[in-house]
Amino acid sequence: MDTQQAVADAAPHEANEDGVESRRDGANKITLGPGDSLDGKLNYNGHVTVQGQAQGEFRVTGNFDVGNGATVKALIEGSNVTIKGDVEGVLTARDKLTLGKSAKLSGDVTVKRLQIEDGASFNGHVRMGSFEQSSGS
Amino acid sequence: MTENETSVVMLGPRDRLIGELYIEGNLRVSGTLEGQIEATGDVDVTEAATVKATVAGREVNVSGQVNGAVTASKKLIIGRSGSIVGDVRVPRLIMQDGASLSGNVSMGPKVAAEFAQAAAAEAAPAPVEMAAAVQSATDGETAQEKAKAKKR
Repeated sequence: MDTQQAVADAAPHEANEDGVESRRDGANKITLGPGDSLDGKLNYNGHVTVQGQAQGEFRVTGNFDVGNGATVKALIEGSNVTIKGDVEGVLTARDKLTLGKSAKLSGDVTVKRLQIEDGASFNGHVRMGSFEQSSGS
Repeated sequence: MTENETSVVMLGPRDRLIGELYIEGNLRVSGTLEGQIEATGDVDVTEAATVKATVAGREVNVSGQVNGAVTASKKLIIGRSGSIVGDVRVPRLIMQDGASLSGNVSMGPKVAAEFAQAAAAEAAPAPVEMAAAVQSATDGETAQEKAKAKKR
């Protein structure tokens, strides 16, 4: 029994080392530091954190975080989207969108859940509930 | 400013109001409300309430169902059991997890400035003393409301 368990335990570890894409829930992570900037289109299997500047189109399977002081002008799609900086663009959160107290968001959002903290600023249209996958386009 | 409010109107869970309501003071709704409501003070929509109306107040607290546009001159709080279907216009918005909102949201300093302007414009043509205002407000404001209704 012990050896069998050991083999079973070892298997996923090997898989992890072999393929980065083996973890569905986003073990992968990109962080753009305060001085970093990104301009373009990103489809990513994992989490993304932006603390600098980003522009374009971002579709991630995991979470999308916009840090305090960050500026993002983009189409954003993610599971959980957390905003503490400035964001302009169309936003989709398959699970939850959180606007922190320093957040400034302008654009239309489609979300399942929405939480807005006092101090956050938001201008745009909100669509909630009945969720449609729009990742096909 | 809060101390100057004259009335507190409460609508219980089995109460119903259909029409137009203007209050110099606070409103607490637990029942059914249809039409238009405006309060100079705070508006509280409890969990049991069903509101199909445009709601205007200073601080608006929604824990029940609201179907209609909501404006708050100070802030709007949507509790975890709260639901709003309609456009929202507020300087500050707090939305707890679990709350539901469908509509357009306009907020921030711009909106706050608009409310401040509106308040100043309302105050300017009628420089009545506060004590007298309390008495005359009821008549004066209902007249205003009627005039508004006619325009609409």
